[in-house]
Amino acid sequence: MVSYIVRRLLLAALTVLAISVLSFIIIHLPPGDYVTSYISSMSASGSAVSEGEAAALREQLGLDKPITVQYMKWMVLMMQGNFGMAMEWGRPVSDVIGDRLLLTVVISVAAIIFTWAIALPIGIYSAVYRYSFLDYVFTFVGFVGLAIPGFLLALIVMYVGFAWFGANVGGLFSPDYIEAEWSWAKVWDLTKHLPIPAVVLGVSGTAQLIRIMRSNLLDELRKPYVTTARARGLPEYRVILRYPVRVALNPFVSTIGYLLPYVVSGSIIVSLVLSLPTVGPLLLKALIAQDMFLAGTIVLLLGVLTVIGTFISDLLLMWVDPRIRLGRQ
Amino acid sequence: MKLTRALRVLAGLGLAGTLAMGSGWAAAQSAAPAAPKIGASLIGKLEGPEIVRDAKAFPKTFKEAPALAAQVKAGKLPAVDKRLPEPSQLFVVKPLREVGKYGGNWRRAFTGPADHENGNRINSADKILTFDYTGTKIAPSLARDWKISDDGKTITIYLRKGAKWSDGKPFTANDFIFWYEDIYLNKNIVPTPFFEFQIDGKDGTMRKIDDYTVAFEFPEPYAFFVYQLAGSTAIGAGLATRGAFQNWGGAYAPAHYLKQFLPKYSSEDAVNKKAKELGFDNWVSLLRNRYSWALNPELPVMTPWKTVSPINSPTWSMERNPYFWAVDTAGNQLPYIDRITMTLAENTEVANLRAIAGEYDIQERHMHLSKLPVFLENAKRGNYTVRLDPGLNGADVALHVGNSYEGDPEMMTLLRNRDFRRALALGIDRDQLNEAFWLGVGTAGNIAPSPDTIFSPGAEWNKKWGVLDIKQANELLDKIGLTKKDSEGYRQRLDGKGRLRVEMVTVGGQFVPYTQVAEMIKQQWRKIGVDVDIKELERNLAFMRDNNNENQIITWANDGSEMLFLFPRHAIPVDAAESHMGMAFARWYASKGASGKKPDDPELLRAFDLFRASFGAKEEDRIRNGKEIWKILVDNVYSIGTVGQSPAFMGVRLVKNNMGNVPERQVNAQHVRTPFSSQPITFYFK
Repeated sequence: MVSYIVRRLLLAALTVLAISVLSFIIIHLPPGDYVTSYISSMSASGSAVSEGEAAALREQLGLDKPITVQYMKWMVLMMQGNFGMAMEWGRPVSDVIGDRLLLTVVISVAAIIFTWAIALPIGIYSAVYRYSFLDYVFTFVGFVGLAIPGFLLALIVMYVGFAWFGANVGGLFSPDYIEAEWSWAKVWDLTKHLPIPAVVLGVSGTAQLIRIMRSNLLDELRKPYVTTARARGLPEYRVILRYPVRVALNPFVSTIGYLLPYVVSGSIIVSLVLSLPTVGPLLLKALIAQDMFLAGTIVLLLGVLTVIGTFISDLLLMWVDPRIRLGRQ
Repeated sequence: MKLTRALRVLAGLGLAGTLAMGSGWAAAQSAAPAAPKIGASLIGKLEGPEIVRDAKAFPKTFKEAPALAAQVKAGKLPAVDKRLPEPSQLFVVKPLREVGKYGGNWRRAFTGPADHENGNRINSADKILTFDYTGTKIAPSLARDWKISDDGKTITIYLRKGAKWSDGKPFTANDFIFWYEDIYLNKNIVPTPFFEFQIDGKDGTMRKIDDYTVAFEFPEPYAFFVYQLAGSTAIGAGLATRGAFQNWGGAYAPAHYLKQFLPKYSSEDAVNKKAKELGFDNWVSLLRNRYSWALNPELPVMTPWKTVSPINSPTWSMERNPYFWAVDTAGNQLPYIDRITMTLAENTEVANLRAIAGEYDIQERHMHLSKLPVFLENAKRGNYTVRLDPGLNGADVALHVGNSYEGDPEMMTLLRNRDFRRALALGIDRDQLNEAFWLGVGTAGNIAPSPDTIFSPGAEWNKKWGVLDIKQANELLDKIGLTKKDSEGYRQRLDGKGRLRVEMVTVGGQFVPYTQVAEMIKQQWRKIGVDVDIKELERNLAFMRDNNNENQIITWANDGSEMLFLFPRHAIPVDAAESHMGMAFARWYASKGASGKKPDDPELLRAFDLFRASFGAKEEDRIRNGKEIWKILVDNVYSIGTVGQSPAFMGVRLVKNNMGNVPERQVNAQHVRTPFSSQPITFYFK
């Protein structure tokens, strides 16, 4: 058991190193660098960068050096706990990400809670009362939810909120609270703005989860142990919740690994449409600007979280499902 | 009713098309039902505040904002007449309509730390010189006056005696010399000299005459340098133009504050240590950050507003500079408005929707022309008025031809053939484009700027090779020898490799829907038998292909080209930092033949010679040269113009009805740094 964990940890460290190299290479793949991207963005916004200014910037940022030198510089910085400067932001990368991390986690967790709170009961209901009227309704709604792209739903919800309810357009705070210090009033303001992004982000996941839960549970309900339990006169809710639901939950546990990076990055396009101050739009903009330290750090962070998440879900599976635990021994 | 409106708004919002697909097809969608010329009535009279230059008319007593008066009373701030420059040295503005009231918070949108021009352009009063509200005449700004010596080699500027930095320290010629000697001449900071500070590749120098007089001296006549000081350039910038981010613009800087970050005044180790402590690689990175008014609230500035919460936070907010050196004709210290708060919109669609909701007081940046119908429909509810400010440049979509394209040999030959370019230009139905994408408010024509601009060769030149003439286009193409056509009517290549296809590169997600315009041109060119491959590329990639001479044609605006010598890069290939119509030629010109490639085209070489000679020339000669260059550019069609002089480029302005002194129409151009030319210091809340 211990040697298994140690082996997994070593492998994880190697994977992370590989991710760092890969992410750095991928960010460098498109032609040009931060400075060319800066010139084009200035041109698009009606301003200009002169050749001399471009040269100064390139030298200052070390972009005139070979990619291996740039990578080593990044690695050395990271060993010192410094992730470099976010070029576009003029601030250390850790500050730029740090600012947005908390809100990203808040939104993502809200979305996950929304998803689970809705999907699990409905999934169970749909499986138990298969082909009932409500099952059809949920199935229909579920498919619609799956089919609508998140960004489209975001736009519609945003417009409806604005036109009929006078809600603020996009964002997570009213203008008055954006710069305010944290207080109960600000938390309440956040709470009021949270449902729209949480619902939009959660809807497609909910639809998916309902379908998975329903089909998993249906498989279990047909098994003889359920019939036996019923025959022995157990109350219906115990028959269903005690074993079949627990078994049907297995696939969720194994996907926890993917939840962690999701919690940190959020959904890029939906966040962009709703103008949420989360890590997703930050990553997109960093990639467009070819800000390699910022983009590289975010990609690396997501990679590390995926590795950790997979590790945790492996451990959880062993703990939850005796079959896996015993099968290994 | 509500539903149809919702759908229309959604169409206007582009359904995030600009985000997800990188395109702005919304323009085409919402244009279809719109009546022609919907916006023409929204273009008002060009007007703006006058800068009073006669010291006899200056006010003698001064008033200040109530918030500042309270601070004076509390002993935290000197009295207003102690904060202003000497009375004869003031910057006096006659507000457009009336003397305003103090107070208020100007709400705007910005899109993140790359959007610094948003605030720079409002705050540009710290430029050394500027243009008046018509955009044609040079006017004083930070410097109260200027003089060109008779030989044109010395340009002297006169500072305002008694002017102070925003922290109350005196502003003198020493701040210029500090910038020149300690920033500009330090190769660690500025490795390559500014080309604006050179004449014909030879460096200029700066000299202090006395505490309030600075001379720029050049080895050769350089009368045009005054325009460099007034335009949107690095040398005449002030801290709020180029010093805002990643640049070292200024010609002056707050010596008393910045010295602590320079090795010269302590030691290299000391400043590097300070940088490391704050998370920066080295002292230059730290200086870069400290030098930016948008990033560093501690930086002393000469601008009307100073940053409170920096641009890399969710709101970029500014408050008035208590030492700002301007007053209105009644002696009120400007600006009138207390604060500016810009809230972050992660994308421009959200900014547009918030504008419709009336959440911004004055907003011209990021507002899409394609949403004009929606803006108008919600004007009453949002309590705002829509104003259109047409640009001065000839083409908001120019098809820049890769005149130094290297690749397919047959296309290389064709693109360098003037008749081929002319034929393509004659094959475009510009009126159709204008109605579909500009709602009829643009002006169809070639690339030449508005006839009202200094270098325009005359209105008759705006249509040359800029009208639809299928017959002549076909004749030109036949004359080249492109006579063989396939069954669909498209012309065949001369080398027998099938159909002639021109590759056109477009960029999505910009102010103008380039790809959709290109699609319509592709349809129009069917009639002259020329097929087009449209490639929509990410902006940076498209620019990189320019740099490598890989683009046959790229669609981009020619904004800024109306001031040919200040911002030539969108008109003539002379700038190696950005050139869409022939990077190899631009490199050749900029390096004086050391790199790049010499064009074979004698007309282009003639334009280069005229261009180079103009910087030292007297004003009238320069204007004549400029007109001549435009004639060459128009006649040889190095870029193909379509529709321009439109408000598509930052010219759709939403103004809340309670805002005062806001002009009906303002000059929309880069060199005046719109909206700065309207003197935002005189805007106020009624």
